[in-house]
Amino acid sequence: MTLPRLRSALALSTVALVALTACNAEDAGDGGKVTIGFVASLSGTYQTVGEDMRDGFQLYLDTHGGKLGGRTVDLVVADEGDGPQTALPAATRLVQEDEVDALAGVVAGGSYAAIANLAQENKIPLVGANARPDMKSTDWLWHTSYISDEPGIAIAPYVKENVAGPVYAIGPDYQGGHDELRGFVDTYTKLGGVLANPDGKTRWTPFPGTSDFLPYLNEIAQTNAKAVYCFYAGKAAVDFVKQYAQSDVADLPLYGAFLTEGAILDAQGDSAKGIRNVLNYSPDLDNPANRTFVAEWSARHDRQPTTFAMASYDAAAVLDRAIAAVPAGQDVSPELINNAIGALGTIDSPRGPWQFSPKTHSPIQRWYLREVALDGTKLSNLLVEDLATVGG
Amino acid sequence: MADAYLIPAVNGVAYGLLLYTVAAGLTLTFGVAGVLNLAHGTVYVLGGYLAVSLSDGTWTGLALGALAGTGAGLAAGLLLWGMLRPIEGRGHLAQALLTFGVALAGGALLVRAFGTDELRPSLPAALDAPVDLFGHRYPAYRLGFIGVAAVLALCGVLLVRRTRFGAAVRAVADDRDMVAVLGLDPRAVMAGVLAAGGALAGAAGALGAPILGPGPRTADTTLLLSLIIVVVGGLGSIGGAFIAAIAVGQVQSLGVIVAPDWAPYLLFAAMGVALLARRRRWAT
Amino acid sequence: MKKWPTLAAVAAVLVTLVVLPFVLRNFALLTIARVAALGLLAASTALLTGTAGLPTLGQVAPYAVGAYTAGHLAHAGAVGLVQILVAAAAAAVFALLTGLAVVRTRGTVCLMVTLAVGELTAIAADQWKSVTGGTDGMARVPAVRAFWGGEPMLKGVPLYVYAVGTALVVLVATWLMLRTRAGALVRGCRDNEERMRASGHRVGLILLLTHVWAGAVAGVGGALLIAVQRYVSPADVGFEVSALTLLAVVIGGAASLWGAVAGAGAVVAVRDNLAPAGQAPLLLGLLFVAAVYVLPRGLAGINRRRDA
Repeated sequence: MTLPRLRSALALSTVALVALTACNAEDAGDGGKVTIGFVASLSGTYQTVGEDMRDGFQLYLDTHGGKLGGRTVDLVVADEGDGPQTALPAATRLVQEDEVDALAGVVAGGSYAAIANLAQENKIPLVGANARPDMKSTDWLWHTSYISDEPGIAIAPYVKENVAGPVYAIGPDYQGGHDELRGFVDTYTKLGGVLANPDGKTRWTPFPGTSDFLPYLNEIAQTNAKAVYCFYAGKAAVDFVKQYAQSDVADLPLYGAFLTEGAILDAQGDSAKGIRNVLNYSPDLDNPANRTFVAEWSARHDRQPTTFAMASYDAAAVLDRAIAAVPAGQDVSPELINNAIGALGTIDSPRGPWQFSPKTHSPIQRWYLREVALDGTKLSNLLVEDLATVGG
Repeated sequence: MADAYLIPAVNGVAYGLLLYTVAAGLTLTFGVAGVLNLAHGTVYVLGGYLAVSLSDGTWTGLALGALAGTGAGLAAGLLLWGMLRPIEGRGHLAQALLTFGVALAGGALLVRAFGTDELRPSLPAALDAPVDLFGHRYPAYRLGFIGVAAVLALCGVLLVRRTRFGAAVRAVADDRDMVAVLGLDPRAVMAGVLAAGGALAGAAGALGAPILGPGPRTADTTLLLSLIIVVVGGLGSIGGAFIAAIAVGQVQSLGVIVAPDWAPYLLFAAMGVALLARRRRWAT
Repeated sequence: MKKWPTLAAVAAVLVTLVVLPFVLRNFALLTIARVAALGLLAASTALLTGTAGLPTLGQVAPYAVGAYTAGHLAHAGAVGLVQILVAAAAAAVFALLTGLAVVRTRGTVCLMVTLAVGELTAIAADQWKSVTGGTDGMARVPAVRAFWGGEPMLKGVPLYVYAVGTALVVLVATWLMLRTRAGALVRGCRDNEERMRASGHRVGLILLLTHVWAGAVAGVGGALLIAVQRYVSPADVGFEVSALTLLAVVIGGAASLWGAVAGAGAVVAVRDNLAPAGQAPLLLGLLFVAAVYVLPRGLAGINRRRDA
């Protein structure tokens, strides 16, 4: 048996290629610089979310002279793709190759769980800015968005009070969906609410395979539901909302978390009108930090700022203040950053002031009820009222 | 209680008819030309993207989209035929691998051109609204689609069963050596069949865009579902594919409600069983 | 005369493999360790597709069985050696069961049956949440110790040694086996099934045993994946991975185990390093098309079947 020369050459060149990638890393030990690794989906299902996050982080850098805590930032952006299978190698590379001082970003909960493990093992702070599953240990982990069950907890009392009768709960069958729905269902039933679902349990739709929701919507129409609560994001949210408006349940009020946030609202169009949803941000919030944020954002992008952009902007703000706490002249280290984040106190944000919960390391913050309506000629999520302050 | 299953069942028919249109093209290329075209789903998506781009909420836009989708599918079929020519005689597997590479590269180009979102066309107002169906609301477009696709399917079946062209197609599908016996030019048969298969996929993509819209994952979904239909329907049988497509539509629509735990496995399990049951005839 | 380039190539590869940990940084070593896992998957695909003449899109199935098995063992605190052996055994049993169906088919039908097997396994990985963690995958797998009393492997060097070493042992064992009479019998079934039957050989049994062996090889690959990546999800064992594996095999030459491993390396290099962000599928697709045209010999093993 001989090994054809072509293949030997192939094997050797492969080895050489892999070796090449190892040689272009630079050393990051210089006291005036800090290396930040930013992970977000720049391709795949969550691309628009990932781009909002990257742009939010970049906006903070651009409006602060490209510096965090007075030190020049070397920002290394990595593509998270559709989930952990792409996110984990990308993040591993940031840690092992670029030797970043801190990680930030991360769109999906599954990616977060995998990257959190990596950050903790390598003792690097991770400032997550989107999905956040429940974590057993929060050492090295920080969060600027919210824990996945909090939107449901925040809106459940409002739904209980304003809907006369049982509510049907439906959501996608993955960890993030389970967390979101659990927050709502547990709080709602604790307040004496009754689910309209026939077996008293949330209906799960296969994820990511479901694009046809009509069978499920038809099932809702068979119950005595007076309203529907759901959590969907991305393309599933578009399909769900559009088909909802054309189904037997079109007249039932639809409540949701996330459902209409970001670029998907354009795709949903008029079928999204009147949907009430809960979030920690609305672009029309009236506070100085938000006025600055919205103005700077609108000067650079022709899309509306989203909670994704806002939370990443805050992640940069958190790092800014934490790095500033490291005495000038001293090298920035992951451990110093991590300790400094823990001592930050109140953070002034476009969403209103918030602070890290000492237990979960995610924000204690105010939640808002919003409704999709025309803002001029464009559909937008407009603020209806403040809901509860949740977190911790 | 039967009422509860009415809408999912009707919906399953719409879905099934859509899948049938796609799978009919695959059946044709596999049954007659012997090409396992793994780029078939990508042609579907191409038709879908064109329809979405041309749609502007008018009937003209809708018609243009359908025409463009069909035309592009036809062209894609011919392109594939051209690409397959140099490897003629290298067997099914080389063909399958080539079309797979085309699917991968073509899918990437389409995503580059149209973005990563799953798109939907904007429909004429009359179609973009619910209609009343036995006291239930149901999307008007899907109801219309059932009508159009049923007519198309009927034409297809009549074409294959009642015309000389159909007789030739059936003869060749039964035994590929019949091409020579019938005095047909095998190259013309290949080109025609690939073009027709592509046109069917393109048309399905254009008309089916409001139901199964073009996006980064759509090509894989469509290809795998059509493969199941082609296999379960008996590898090359148009009538068999029709029954299989309706069944797959029902599993996807009714199945997820009635047996949510088992529905996902059902399709590939059926495919495996059908393959093993028929393996002798198609062992080559 | 032919031996010289071969020996030189083998020596060069071996020397390179030994030198690499001293030259390369962490991440590059981890990448090679990942290639070792994928390489075993590719080798098992090549063994079936090229050597046995059973073209397959379904080797991700035993790979998945191996990965999830090793993942559970890691959670239970088993050492790497145990993980590898049990994962191989579990994957072999799985391959025995599915093989009963697969070895009855040939050509395109075989491709489709194995596709069904692979897809059913990916669906099961998705649905069977209590065992697999569903879509989110099995996360937080503790770092693996190679042997009793060893250190948990976190960094590039130990993982490189562990993964590349294991892969070499498995590949050499397979390669040696193929050089014996057993290997000749397997190739005989591929090249002339009728004659084999006529001379009293039990073709079905020979192919079934090959299928089981290939399953075990893929299972070891799964166990290595867990050790290196410490995470597995349905996406690691889906259609896309099957396709990449097949591409590796096409590039490397269907009948060559080593070619398949090199092909896996090339595919990973293109996907992770050469392609500009998001362009990997385009490049891989073009590579696929080019491979079919330019490397007809890469498909030699497949074509020897009379399916033209």
